[in-house]
Amino acid sequence: MISIDNLTISFSGKKAVDGISLQIEPGEILGLVGESGSGKSVTALTLMGLLASEGVMETGTIDFNGTCLLKAGVKPDQKLLRSFRGDQMSMIFQEPMTSLNPTMKVGPQIDEQLLLHAKDDFKSAEERKKRVLETLEGVGLRDVEKVYDSYPHQLSGGMRQRAMIAMAVILHPALIIADEPTTALDVTIQNQIVKLLKEIRDREQNSMIFITHDLNLARRICTKLAVMKDGKIVELGSTEEIFTNPQTDYAKKLIAAVPGRKNSKSAVHREIERIEPILTVKDLNVFYKERSKKLFGKTEHKCVVKNADFEIYPGETLGLVGESGCGKTSLCKAILGINNDITGNVKISTVRPQMVFQDPYSSLNPSKSIGWLLEEPLRAEDILEKSIKYTKETRKEMAIDMLRRVGLDEYYYDRMPHQLSGGQRQRVSIGQALITKPSLILADEPVSALDVTIQDQVLELLESLQEEYGLAYLFISHDINVIYRVSDRIMVMKKGEILEIGDRDQLFDNPKHPYTKELLAES
Amino acid sequence: MKVFNMSSAKGKKVNIYLIIGAVMTGIIVVMAIVGIFWTPYSTTAMSAKERFAAPSWQHLFGTDNFGRDIFSRVMKAVGTSALISVLVVAISAVAGIVLGAITGYFGGVVDAVVMRIVDAINGFPSILLALVIISLLGKGRQNVVLALAIAFTPSFVRIVRGEFIRLRDADYVVRARLMGVAKPRILFVHILPNIFSTFWVSVTIGLNNAILAESGLSYLGIGVQAPDATLGSLLSDAQASLASSPWYALAPGLTIVWTVLGVAMLSEGIGKLKK
Repeated sequence: MISIDNLTISFSGKKAVDGISLQIEPGEILGLVGESGSGKSVTALTLMGLLASEGVMETGTIDFNGTCLLKAGVKPDQKLLRSFRGDQMSMIFQEPMTSLNPTMKVGPQIDEQLLLHAKDDFKSAEERKKRVLETLEGVGLRDVEKVYDSYPHQLSGGMRQRAMIAMAVILHPALIIADEPTTALDVTIQNQIVKLLKEIRDREQNSMIFITHDLNLARRICTKLAVMKDGKIVELGSTEEIFTNPQTDYAKKLIAAVPGRKNSKSAVHREIERIEPILTVKDLNVFYKERSKKLFGKTEHKCVVKNADFEIYPGETLGLVGESGCGKTSLCKAILGINNDITGNVKISTVRPQMVFQDPYSSLNPSKSIGWLLEEPLRAEDILEKSIKYTKETRKEMAIDMLRRVGLDEYYYDRMPHQLSGGQRQRVSIGQALITKPSLILADEPVSALDVTIQDQVLELLESLQEEYGLAYLFISHDINVIYRVSDRIMVMKKGEILEIGDRDQLFDNPKHPYTKELLAES
Repeated sequence: MKVFNMSSAKGKKVNIYLIIGAVMTGIIVVMAIVGIFWTPYSTTAMSAKERFAAPSWQHLFGTDNFGRDIFSRVMKAVGTSALISVLVVAISAVAGIVLGAITGYFGGVVDAVVMRIVDAINGFPSILLALVIISLLGKGRQNVVLALAIAFTPSFVRIVRGEFIRLRDADYVVRARLMGVAKPRILFVHILPNIFSTFWVSVTIGLNNAILAESGLSYLGIGVQAPDATLGSLLSDAQASLASSPWYALAPGLTIVWTVLGVAMLSEGIGKLKK
């Protein structure tokens, strides 16, 4: 139905997409997988005729049901493309907050599709509204009249993405391109959206291109996979084939890096002596000050973590899983003493526990060199204890030693953070946390911003450092598969409450709480 | 979506702002420095014969009502004007950094009190405020600097405060807190270097505003007193003979325009360099 033939796109001479050919048949869900910068999104945008003006289509043609949409060297026919967009093919974007117009009500926004492409099919505005409401129902929204008259900010993330999908499917397009449609959503919502997309496909038999960096997700939804690397398709085949029997080295590496129960890397079950906990949290309530919107209103204390009660023992990893806003980070901050608005007890038997953050781009001070950053904890310790334990030379030695331990070398000592890749930065981050030798590290989504192979490397690093130093981790993630890989015990949190805490395999085999079951449904 | 941000790498673009700005500012700086040690004529040498002489090779900018060489006087005046504006910006920038850092990072009562004072100062036009201060303290170079510095501080406080509010909860600042880094060190070693690109722009704008404000004060006759001259006081002196010998006013006037334009271009150029 759609065929892309030998497509090459370059940005100022650099090839972003390099000679790819693809065919998509009706009813097929093709997954475009690969790491960031591999050319997935550029391919999809080109197909929609939305290639940025800096991009040059060097070779190739794109045919849609026999009509030539784009051809290299020929100026794209914008009118033709416009008539195809929305009508024949539509797109779902990653961020539902920014892809819906915040100043327009949801209903009229969807209605616009009908106005532009199918005005003559409807006699009146009422008829169009009826159709919009039907479609909203079709994407699993309830109370559709209310949704129709809501502004995007009045809807939750999941609802917004459903509205976005409604907009994409209302004209029954033959092709739907979904560019990371669930990445910005919580796990349970993610499951619902994936289910919905499958239902739509079954109902309407349209084809889909599903772009994702999450291979677990691709495996669940796609019938066919194209693995991309550096603008090339390195492997193309049915999903099961690629997962069970990958041919190329890159695909093998990629699939081996996918965390999860089936991954051999997470099979190790360690015996941990649980005698003296390194961290004890007892009846901990964490509050959050919320300013009243009224002029003279009192600030309210909102309880974001309720009755937390757990401990961590030396050398073990406690995985903490839950949706965004469930209080994971608040719990962390309370343990570290950044938030003092707490009741209950936190007992730590180690030197200052340190934290590794999610975003490797904001957790390193951009105006300092890597060496300076690694030495700063030592300087701070000296100032704090009014001692001179470390001389300039020992500090430098320790920093370089730490660089080696986290898999970098002396070369990086004088570099600035912006010269490093995301993975390298996260290594420096980990090094910075470890240099004062704490025995407890709080890791808040430390691999969520990284590509799957880099993710794998960083997890390996964390594991080897744990062994070397006997570290205990509180490892926070929204990704149940990552949690499975690293944890000895797992704690499930929702809306500030700890629902369940238990041994990893016991929890996976026999989840007690319905929410845990829902979370595990996708592992 | 990274696709849209890819820069067009058609070779490095020539930073025209930087070049022109540097040349223009450079000429002024050279004039001011040379003016300290040497001027073509003594700035106080009067000549009854050459009163109101038009520009010529002997007197590039002509002569004034006492027959003094205007070019020499402008050279001296540029130095005085520049010195005053640099001092004004230096004082108000340092005050702005300290107050802005403390109010922005800590917030709370200190923030509320300081910012209301800042608002109050902001409520007056800066020239008017300087007028009031000078009439209280008396005329003179130091008092001009002090008055303008007080008038200029609020804008620096606002900018620094905004940046500190933006960065106080950045991950790397939280980490510094976790390491046990002392508060002054967090403020001035960890956060401060990260606000310089924003701060630099306001410093250059401040330099220009200070030159203009000082000229304004001198023009009103409450700035630097004779025989010291600044660009503004020259302009003020020239006013009487504006119709008969326009070059007298044009020389300091154009020098002000030239300086302000040069510094503005330079800051624009440096701003582009950072990106």
